[in-house]
Amino acid sequence: LSPLNPALALTELTARIGSTLARVHQARDVTLGSCARHAVWSRGHTTLFHYEPLGSGRRRAASRPLLVSFALVNRPYVLDLQPQRSLIRRLLEAGLNIYLIDWGDPEEGGRTELSEYVIDHLGGCVDYLRASHDLPDVDLLGVCQGGVFSLCYSAMFPARVRNLVTITTPVDFQTPQDLLAKWVQGLDSDLLAALGNVPGTLLNTLFVSLMPLRLAQQKYVRLLTGQLEQAAVDDFVRMEKWIFDSPPQSGAALAQYVRWFYQENRLLRGTLELAGRPVRLAAVRQPVLNLYALEDHIVPPAASAALGDRVGSRDYSEQTFPTGHIGMYVSRSAQEHIPQRISTWLAERR
Amino acid sequence: MSDPFSFDSYNAAAERFYELLKTFGGAAAAGGGARPDWSSLTGPLAGQFEQWLKMSQSSAPWFTPASAAGAARPFEAAQSAWLFGALPLGPAAAVAPEGQRVLELLGKLAQLQGQLVLHWSEIANSAARGFVKRLEKEPAARGSAEDALRLYELWVECAEKAYGETVRRADFCQLQAEIANTSAALLVEQRRQAEGLVRAFGLPTRSEIDALYGQLKELRQVVTDLRGQLTTPPPDVRPVRKPRTTRAKTAGRRTRPAKRSSRGSRG
Repeated sequence: LSPLNPALALTELTARIGSTLARVHQARDVTLGSCARHAVWSRGHTTLFHYEPLGSGRRRAASRPLLVSFALVNRPYVLDLQPQRSLIRRLLEAGLNIYLIDWGDPEEGGRTELSEYVIDHLGGCVDYLRASHDLPDVDLLGVCQGGVFSLCYSAMFPARVRNLVTITTPVDFQTPQDLLAKWVQGLDSDLLAALGNVPGTLLNTLFVSLMPLRLAQQKYVRLLTGQLEQAAVDDFVRMEKWIFDSPPQSGAALAQYVRWFYQENRLLRGTLELAGRPVRLAAVRQPVLNLYALEDHIVPPAASAALGDRVGSRDYSEQTFPTGHIGMYVSRSAQEHIPQRISTWLAERR
Repeated sequence: MSDPFSFDSYNAAAERFYELLKTFGGAAAAGGGARPDWSSLTGPLAGQFEQWLKMSQSSAPWFTPASAAGAARPFEAAQSAWLFGALPLGPAAAVAPEGQRVLELLGKLAQLQGQLVLHWSEIANSAARGFVKRLEKEPAARGSAEDALRLYELWVECAEKAYGETVRRADFCQLQAEIANTSAALLVEQRRQAEGLVRAFGLPTRSEIDALYGQLKELRQVVTDLRGQLTTPPPDVRPVRKPRTTRAKTAGRRTRPAKRSSRGSRG
């Protein structure tokens, strides 16, 4: 490299940064969400939403429901961020009948336990759908931690789940690439449980700390110096709003998740119990479609791939995508392939 | 949905970016117009990076969110919460056992923070050395804005590599866990002290409010179950009281009322 001309470089970069910052200001009130939905059921702070059918999907509005369960650590609207980036919209366009669980904020005191989320809340949604559609079972689509919950529920109540789709779902919580797992091994889960509700900013910071320069510096510099159009800046700001809109976590549930899943790897080892009931992956005999990302730094690919060896289903399929964790929900490539894969797979099993 | 939007992250990143560019420019000037003296970058880069790591993560991610994310600093709040100790009057002028425990935890936390600083220093120096080494292998360029950005990308790559190597080590992970556990213990202890103070003023404590809330929750569930038995809907089906529709923040969006609505509600 020859000597950098600071004056020349600074002048041009300052101009780029200035104009992008102005666009960021304009983007501050960007619209979030794209599909019409309404609440149909709730328990505690958990709400079940039903999405209105779209396009050709209207013809099959009364078809078998697909219940989407997202993680507790972020809001589920990332699945329907904007019309061009909406897994839910693509699924609706494919004619699926979509219901989404929004866990909301935990109740005061931080005492909601994992078993409540899985059995009472997720299970309550399943029961509502079974009753309202007069069906013995429904299809589940679990994303990240929501996939873990869906796996647990399918193992505990197999007769109530027809097909199961998991996206970026960890099963082996102690793979060598899993930095998050390494960091939480020595945590005192009893102290964690005693904290009450844990602020969402704390977990957010934890995730940023996995790659601090990339996530707290580089991505902003790339945006500011990238000479992007307003629409691209709007997209960026939408994602930022979602990333930092983190709900607090129930201390009890978080402590159980850290201890049972990350520290003791009970789901993989077949030693997990929820509310006294065993949760065995071998009991998941429904058809399973497991989708995960090859560049995922939060749920490494090996953590998701472990499902294939443990699940009891004879109809197990998996597919990988060359993207990161969040890219699975919002990247252009994911938008093209994942909804299509899910709808085709489900159609073959209905 | 809350609005967590903040310009802090953008501004902080731009500020740090300018700081780096100035440092790069300094190395160029040190070359006196000929080949830049990249080795002169090692010290300043390491120093800046170490400072940034300290500022953004000085007590581990658990209880001191990165300032770059625009988050608050609970540990500082925790330190100020130390004021909730026993009132220094009469017999209470002596350090109470609870106060002693908080002091011990604060001392331990400070000691652990000191150990963490050593890791930050190691990461920063390793990153700077790696960066300078890589610069020597890079092809020539003209010193444009794009070259500056390329330098920046290279720096981030080297810094993340150095960071990743250290934070995966067992000793670092153990230290992180100890800091998190000590911080959590401190918060729990301070909460206990605060409850003691609140009780002394005859006010309800958090534990008592939580207990009442738990009872209220159970009673609500009982009422919901009884209502359900009276009207015999399908098992475990509780329609919401009102249809809840989501609305886009600025642009309008079509919604429609819920098909099912009536009694019952959030359990």
